Amino acid sequence: MKVNNRFLLLSVLIFACFLLVACASQASDSETDKKKDSLVLAIGSEPTDGFDPTTGWGRYGSPLFQSTLLTLDRNFNVQPDLAVDYSVSEDGLEWTVKIRDDVKFSDGEPLTIEDVIFTFETAKNSQSVVDLQNLKKIEKLDAQTVKFVLERPQSTFLYTLTMLGIVPKHAYSENYRENPIGSGPYKLVQWDKGQQLIVEENPYYYGKKSPFKKLTFLFLSQDAAFLAAKAGQVDIVSVPPNLAKESISGMKLIALDSVDNRGIMLPFVKPGYDAEKGIEIGHEVTSDLAIRKALNICIDRDKLVEDVLEGFGTPAFSVADKLPWWNEETVFEDGDIEAAEQILMDAGWRKNADGIFEKDGEKASFTLVYPASDQTRQSLAIAFKQMAKEIGIEVNTEGKSWSEIEEVMHSTPVVMGWGSHDPIEIYHLYHSKYRGQGYSNANYYSNKKVDQYMDQAIHAITPEEANEYWKKAQWDGETGFSALGDAPWVWLVNLQHLYFVNEHLNIGEQKIQPHGHGWPITEFIADWTWEE
Amino acid sequence: MKNQYLSIDFDSTNYKRRILWKIIGLVCLFLLVALSGFWIGEEQIEANMGEKHLSPSLDHPFGTDWLGRDMFFRTLLGLHLSWKVGLFAAVISTVIALTLSLLSSINKFFDSLVTMLIDLFLSIPHLVALILIAFVLGGGVKGIVIGIAFTHWPSLTRVLRAEILQIKSSEYVHISKKLGKSRMWIIRHHYLPQLAPQLFVGFILLFPHAILHESAITFLGFGLSPEQPAIGIILSEAMKYLTMGMWWLVVFPGLSLFGMVVIFDALGNNLRKLLNPN
Repeated sequence: MKVNNRFLLLSVLIFACFLLVACASQASDSETDKKKDSLVLAIGSEPTDGFDPTTGWGRYGSPLFQSTLLTLDRNFNVQPDLAVDYSVSEDGLEWTVKIRDDVKFSDGEPLTIEDVIFTFETAKNSQSVVDLQNLKKIEKLDAQTVKFVLERPQSTFLYTLTMLGIVPKHAYSENYRENPIGSGPYKLVQWDKGQQLIVEENPYYYGKKSPFKKLTFLFLSQDAAFLAAKAGQVDIVSVPPNLAKESISGMKLIALDSVDNRGIMLPFVKPGYDAEKGIEIGHEVTSDLAIRKALNICIDRDKLVEDVLEGFGTPAFSVADKLPWWNEETVFEDGDIEAAEQILMDAGWRKNADGIFEKDGEKASFTLVYPASDQTRQSLAIAFKQMAKEIGIEVNTEGKSWSEIEEVMHSTPVVMGWGSHDPIEIYHLYHSKYRGQGYSNANYYSNKKVDQYMDQAIHAITPEEANEYWKKAQWDGETGFSALGDAPWVWLVNLQHLYFVNEHLNIGEQKIQPHGHGWPITEFIADWTWEE
Repeated sequence: MKNQYLSIDFDSTNYKRRILWKIIGLVCLFLLVALSGFWIGEEQIEANMGEKHLSPSLDHPFGTDWLGRDMFFRTLLGLHLSWKVGLFAAVISTVIALTLSLLSSINKFFDSLVTMLIDLFLSIPHLVALILIAFVLGGGVKGIVIGIAFTHWPSLTRVLRAEILQIKSSEYVHISKKLGKSRMWIIRHHYLPQLAPQLFVGFILLFPHAILHESAITFLGFGLSPEQPAIGIILSEAMKYLTMGMWWLVVFPGLSLFGMVVIFDALGNNLRKLLNPN
């Protein structure tokens, strides 16, 4: 009898449990009936430097909390945002910008011309990645108009206007990067460092409102993010190529083209010592144009995309593929082993007994360094090594930490990655005045003609005119910094940025994504919709 | 009385013989694994994109990774590296331990100095000291090897010091001293022969420690190039592919490491039984 009682009790308990579970699932069902107005995103790394545009936040993609004077639309045409109008003087030195008068920050205070001036002054003084050294002074013309006066003409100042989010003068302090207040579509609610970021719609936002009132960004490792997506806990997750082959029920894979490129930077000069900077520079083998050209031609970029990126990428031929300032002529037929060998033979290289090219006792051999923490770059380096071996160039690969790479990058080939929506990047990478300045032009490339074209591009007044010169700097029919000319780089691939997105969520058209996976995808969040 | 001793002796020779065979077997097994690294060339672990993500088969007993590299040979090379690091660390640690323990036998001052050193090193968690040393030396194989070599001596030193203290107080040492024998003579003729078994067993038992620490620290990276086949690196890379269900990248290298450590441990314990039945 007693046993029976116990049995009965147990079955009642079990039944109760079932009932509870059923109720719970019913409750969540009815919840989804309501219009979905919040999203959970696991789209990449946490910006450890915080959300201060004057020190670099938002330069890739959009600043989310702040808004910019101008923006670039999906086709990279300049559109007004905070500004209603802008003009450039004939000499390219004076930029006049007129702003809207109806904009409020997320704390309800109006955004005035003082805030714009304050932002640019703060950014100039911050000595950060936001380079405003060319900005001489800022003049307030009236309550709505400001004039930026430059030291020298700079056509890329336009892109600075599209990237620098405006910060409020009245609410800017040392802690601003942790408590950003701005005029962007969202405002920060909570930031649990290392875990998550919660943002809410900015009620004062003047632009098109997103249907999603609340966004939660989770900062998870790639594996954890993937598993969270599998468990149905996130609406968007970014994934590396190897996980993109998997499938997640209820989610679709979106692959976005990018200029997030990977390439190999080859030391351009003969071995030497830069006494001014105190660094060893140059490499005997890669300073030979024939070697650089042969490498460019022998690499089968389609195969790299297939093998290393699992097909999620595009071949790269320059630092700015498919952007308005890209020279389409720089694409060439690659994967051609015979042509590569011919170039080396013509330059006086001969194969030795091991099948490696030699010239004057120097073996065509070098070490290729990659950041040890980046598996994609490691794979690219190893695949590159094998392709180079096929034509008789010996490459040894070695993974190092970034601090170690900084010590050797002027004299050793390195697997690097770039890709910006601002052509100033080209200037930094290839202009001889940036030789040996940090990561810019670390391989000591220089060509007078190219310098000249790029200076003309910088001094151009309209973006169209500037783009012509950027293109000429790549290849003008005779010389240039592309693989057709001096070939100081072997560009390999552009990554595709991969996301699993909830089937109901439509994120619309995206721009060609810049370097930096994750944040840029939020740029057009106002156009995202939830479709049942 | 004499008989009793004899019978014990007789038993123990049998016992010793059994242990000896065990040891020989273990040594062979271990040599097979550790020395095979000398015959594995670059070609065998070369990337082969055509054979990515293969599960274990006859061609690739441990499967292949995301670059199509054969995991069997990579694992063997990893064990080989572990063995080399272990050997170096064990030799250095044993030498340090012996030197310090002999130093401690000189007088009270040196003894307390050595004891203090031992306490100092034992009070810092092993892995932390190891990481600090490796970091100071700039990482890489050099940093890791030296780091491991210079952190594994304290416990062995302590054992040897105790042993010397015991021998030092024995009568024949006193007599030798009274007869005017030099300190070196006493060390050579009294200390070293007595310490030899401890030294040898200590040397062997250092291996598993060193190997486990080597894989722990290579798991964390520490300046080793990721294509270098070290067990720790293989395991940390494999973590990224677990979600894809590529279990063989973790299981086989992990088991091999475990096997290697078990072999050494068994070897050391059997040696101890052989040399010091008490």
